[in-house]
Amino acid sequence: MKTRMFILAVALAFAGATAAQTTLNVVTAGDQNMVDYVNNYLAPKFEAANPGVKVRAVGTGPGDAGSQKIYEKLSARQKAGNNEWDVDVAVIHQLASATMVKEKLLLPYRNDVSVGKLVSRDTAKNALGADVDGYVMPMFHSQIVFAYNPDLVKAPPKSFVELNDWVKKNPKQFGYNGVKGGMSGVGFVTGWVSAYSGMGDKLEKGPYDASAAPAIDKALSGLKEFNQYVVMTPGNAGTLDMLNRGEIAMGPVWVDMFYTWQADGRMSPKIKLVLPSPGLPGQPMYYVIPAKAAHAQLAKKFIELAESPEVQADGIIKQFNWYPGIDPQYVQPKLDQAAWNKLFTDISPADLSKYGRPFPLSPYFKDIVEGYERVVLK
Amino acid sequence: MTAPMGIFRGRGVALALIAPALAVVGLFFVAPLVMSGVVAFRGKGGEFTLEHFRKSFDYYTTDLLFTLAIVLLSTLLIGLVAIAIAGYLTLGGHPRTVAVLRWLYRWPLFIPFVVAGQLMRTFLAKNGMLNHVLIGSGLIEPLSAQSLLDWRGIVVAFVWKQAPFVTLLLAGAMAAVESQHIEAARNLGARRLRVLVDIVLPQVRGTLLVGLVLSFVTMLSVLSVPLMINPNSPTMVTVDVAYRISTHGDYPVANALCLLSLALAAIGAVFYLRHAAAQVEGK
Repeated sequence: MKTRMFILAVALAFAGATAAQTTLNVVTAGDQNMVDYVNNYLAPKFEAANPGVKVRAVGTGPGDAGSQKIYEKLSARQKAGNNEWDVDVAVIHQLASATMVKEKLLLPYRNDVSVGKLVSRDTAKNALGADVDGYVMPMFHSQIVFAYNPDLVKAPPKSFVELNDWVKKNPKQFGYNGVKGGMSGVGFVTGWVSAYSGMGDKLEKGPYDASAAPAIDKALSGLKEFNQYVVMTPGNAGTLDMLNRGEIAMGPVWVDMFYTWQADGRMSPKIKLVLPSPGLPGQPMYYVIPAKAAHAQLAKKFIELAESPEVQADGIIKQFNWYPGIDPQYVQPKLDQAAWNKLFTDISPADLSKYGRPFPLSPYFKDIVEGYERVVLK
Repeated sequence: MTAPMGIFRGRGVALALIAPALAVVGLFFVAPLVMSGVVAFRGKGGEFTLEHFRKSFDYYTTDLLFTLAIVLLSTLLIGLVAIAIAGYLTLGGHPRTVAVLRWLYRWPLFIPFVVAGQLMRTFLAKNGMLNHVLIGSGLIEPLSAQSLLDWRGIVVAFVWKQAPFVTLLLAGAMAAVESQHIEAARNLGARRLRVLVDIVLPQVRGTLLVGLVLSFVTMLSVLSVPLMINPNSPTMVTVDVAYRISTHGDYPVANALCLLSLALAAIGAVFYLRHAAAQVEGK
């Protein structure tokens, strides 16, 4: 009886192995464009190079909440003592990556993949103050910058101090979306606090110190005065809309949204970008591999493809207008001059590495946005 | 013996019939409400606390007042617009204009709030369609054009969206008013406006009140319009609730704010119940 069962099991196993394809499950936080990117762009390339493999991408929704869902799923698998998790590659935000590394939900893989050496930015090692070195690779970076209308602004302010003077001479010409209308406004506020509290490094690297609150509030009270001279816009897209209609002359925007709008003809091609000193925040999305991914080897191959200079050039930069996840010097040779110029005309790679900053550590972040409601809005 | 059994059976059937509806109400309305109440009053360690309400008032008193003011003003304007349109539909002397108006006024009913918000965003902007038309027709100077995307934009969107709903109810009620009353007044030389105010309106007051209360409560709960038109301070409480959850993951304060808007909605409910009770007693 036992032998017969054994033979049956072996036969079944063989049948399964030959007939069924392997499915690589990619789960991604973020908007629908992330799922589209994996399904329409990466999957066909990967499937062509790996016969018998099928890539299946699932989205979990935008923002940190999307990453939170991925965390909850993996955490549940871990607590259930499961040894084969059905997520092979995940794409997550910084905040979740810190938690997931801490709770040992991720596999350290960067040193195992050939593209691991191509990353250069600090974000590959540090996520909002948490050490994630080895566990993550940035898929792309996005950055908040000032967009301005050169017809109305001949010499754009190069720093927050210059901006403060500029709005007083040009009232109601600068617009941003507060803290409740999307991250470009939030990023502007954290950038303001970094600039005026003089604690930029501390806010980004920690350690957290609750006694910094008065300095944050002081910087915010300056912002309250600044707000008298600016226009509040309805959301990330609202700022872009108002710029395009000429209702404001300058405002903080996400670089990738800006270029996508320009490519779609929804934004005047005249509008230009500038990244002020001491900087505005940006953030990457990370490729990670869960600690017990069912197909960890395939997952590594998938990330090798996704982080290859060719894919970063054609997919990340050319099609989606994101900044590359790996060092731009490896991407430039793979890109035609026009596409390269488009992304780096207004903001050079040097400026980007100097003034492109991370968001503050999450406790500081909370202090700043809550402080904004307390100090600025009241 | 058979009679009580019959009653019992009748009751059983009745209970079985309302059970699904009751279950839906209990499961999807009462239970979340109770949970919301629990979370709003529960501290980190599970103890009873008023901390979340203190924070709500500390941060959002302006927004609560702003919400109330916006919704009250919109309700008032909706009432005026609805009376004007329904009044003309009932008393209007020009059949073709009445027909066109009847066909036209219902359109916003079929447009979702989020779409109305999006329409207003481009319509009321500083360089939007409204100002273009006003400038083009020479009514205002280009320099004096200003954006209406603040509290005014929210009010415009609400009135535009809700007035047809109240008009629909009101026009129906007005059509049911005995035409002899109107004709008698007209024969005695009353002008149309006077007929509307003194003869028709008093008879449809109840319907108007119900329509306005329902609009009041609906507008309190709209997130999309304030989010799209003016999510900055001051803004409506719905935006703050969404913000507490999506940015801070702060369900306790969000729930406290929800209970506070429930208290605002209760003002409307009191009017509604009074009217309903008066009607039952009247019968």
